[in-house]
This record gives sequence, structure tokens and C-alpha cells, in this order.
Amino acid sequence: MKLTKEPGSARSGIGDWYWQRLSAVVLAVLLPLPFLLIVAVYSGSVDQLGLLDLLDHFFSRLLHTLLILALIVHAYMGLKVIFEDYVPVIGWRVTLIGGMLVVMSGFGIWWLAIIWAWGG
Amino acid sequence: MSEMIRLSIFRFDPERDDKPFMQSYEVPVTKRGMKLLDALNYIKWELDGTLTYRRSCGEGVCGSDGLNINGVNGLACITPVTGLKQPVHVRPLPGMHVIRDLVVDMDHFFDQYRQIQPWMQTDTPTPEHERLQSPEERALLDGQYECILCACCTTSCPSWWWNGDRFLGPAVLLQANRWIVDSRDEATGRRLDQLEDAFRLYRCHQIMNCMEACPKELNPTAAIDSIKRKLLARKS
Repeated sequence: MKLTKEPGSARSGIGDWYWQRLSAVVLAVLLPLPFLLIVAVYSGSVDQLGLLDLLDHFFSRLLHTLLILALIVHAYMGLKVIFEDYVPVIGWRVTLIGGMLVVMSGFGIWWLAIIWAWGG
Repeated sequence: MSEMIRLSIFRFDPERDDKPFMQSYEVPVTKRGMKLLDALNYIKWELDGTLTYRRSCGEGVCGSDGLNINGVNGLACITPVTGLKQPVHVRPLPGMHVIRDLVVDMDHFFDQYRQIQPWMQTDTPTPEHERLQSPEERALLDGQYECILCACCTTSCPSWWWNGDRFLGPAVLLQANRWIVDSRDEATGRRLDQLEDAFRLYRCHQIMNCMEACPKELNPTAAIDSIKRKLLARKS
């Protein structure tokens, strides 16, 4: 573990830290909403047409988009930290983080396409 | 016959042993308030002169005898033997290279300490008399300056075990904060620049083992949080 040369600072890290916490705040506010919606459906307060109306509303789509973006950012930041902690080989670390970025971006785009009904 | 305590102590002599082993000893309780260091001294002086460990002041000031005691890091000289679960398992500080028995190589730890440049840095001319500090400014150093660099906190930190080559660890970051909050120091910006790094600082995941392990009851996690807040404040 002994260093032969002092590597200095990479001037990074605060961005990750900030985005992880910012996305956590967004999740804390928005994540309960879908569960409340499920409770409303199961309790009979909202019927199928009412549910579709709610989900179809522009404001709902906007909140849904925010939620999915915050979820992806938060999951990416959290998993990135885990890879950095547990994967000591730099090549594997970069590959895994890159692969995760591709998979999560794909998932995000697919989900956004559903939310905004792209392609009809 | 006096009360006996049982100890199981980590032994390893790289010149003689292929691998480490635990050796059992029985030590009489020789006085009231007997500390673990007294038991180790008894073993070395009366039973087995080959047992190797560091010690100096014997009263929790020098930080030489940091050990892993029943799985928790602490100073042998201020840990009472009564109340410890027996046999008392005594091991070297975790995550460090063992030189022999309970003695570990502290070079890397002190290399990291040097990286934060732990001395007062000023740009303004030296005043005729001392650099003054108000009682309130001095109070900011409480809970920071008392660190004795025993490495109990740093070697109890999983983040340091995983990324100790780059993560500075709780003891060094506590010391970094000690200079950042010192009103007389004029290198705050440079110090923050040096710490702004995903590995050097942000590997701290608030596990808080450091706080549990510190024999001086300091809170390195809070110090690290203070550094993060200062970095955030200058960015926002």
C-alpha cells in the first residue's frame, strides 16, 4: 500500500456527491407518489379511466420523467461507488462502470419512450 | 491465588514463521485497574520475552500501543482488562503490514499524514508578536487537535481497507480539518484543492467505525463532513 509518489488531487468527487444527494431528495419527494396511486387504486378511490387520465396528464408525465431520471442518476452513483470500492483492477472498474452506464441509459430511454408514447 | 485472565495473542515472526498463529497465555491480575498493556508487559517480562509490541507513555498520550482488542481497535494502555470477554483476543491493527507480532508498519499512515501538510501556512508577513486568535476561533480547534495519531480510527475504516492507497483515512482527514478550521492558517483554499478528490476524501461513506474506535473520543466523521460542507459552500 506504500506510495512511491504522491498522486495529488483529481479535483473530482464533489459532483458525484452532490448529484447523489440531490437525486435522493427528488426520490424522497416523488417515490411515494406511485405507491399512493397504487393504494388509491386498490382502495377503489380511483378507477381505471381515472388512473389513465392521471397518468396521461402532462404534469404527471413530467413528474414521472423526473422520477425516472433521479432513480437512474441515484442508482448509477451508488453502484459506481460500490464498483470503485470493491473492484481494485482499474480496467475492470472502468469496463463495469461503462457497461452500467450503457445499460442504465438504455433503460432510461426505453422508459421515457413509454412515458411520452414516442412512436405512437 | 490471584485471579487469572486468559489472552490469545497474534504471533508472527516473518523470519521464522510461515504464517501467523494465535498463542494463549494466562496472566494474574496484579493490581486494581490493571490495563491490557500491564498484561502484555507481564507476558514479555515474566513469561515470553519474544512477544513484540510497541509502547511508550503508558497513559494514552503517545498513541504507540494501538491494537485490535476483541475485534475493536483501542489503546492497550487505557483498556482495563476487567470487563473484557475472555480469552482476550489481541491482534495487530487491521489493514496494515505486520512487521512482527503486534507491531505494524506505520510508514504509509504517516506518508498520508505528510500529504496534508500538517503545519500552519501563512501568506501575510509574520507579525511582531504572535498571530492572535479569539476564544471563539480557538474553540473551533477543540475536538480536532487532540488526535494522537494512534491509527485506531483509520485502521478500523473499511473504506481505508479497500482503498487505503488513495483514501486518506479518518485520522489524516481529521488533521486536515484541524488546519482548515484554524483561523490563523491562510492556506484553506489550497488545502481544500488538495482534498477535492473522489478517492482522497469522498471514499468516506459515514460508516462511523472511526468514531467508535477513537480512544480520545473524537469524531473524524464529523470532521470529514465539515470538509465536504466547505467544498460544497465554495462550489455553490
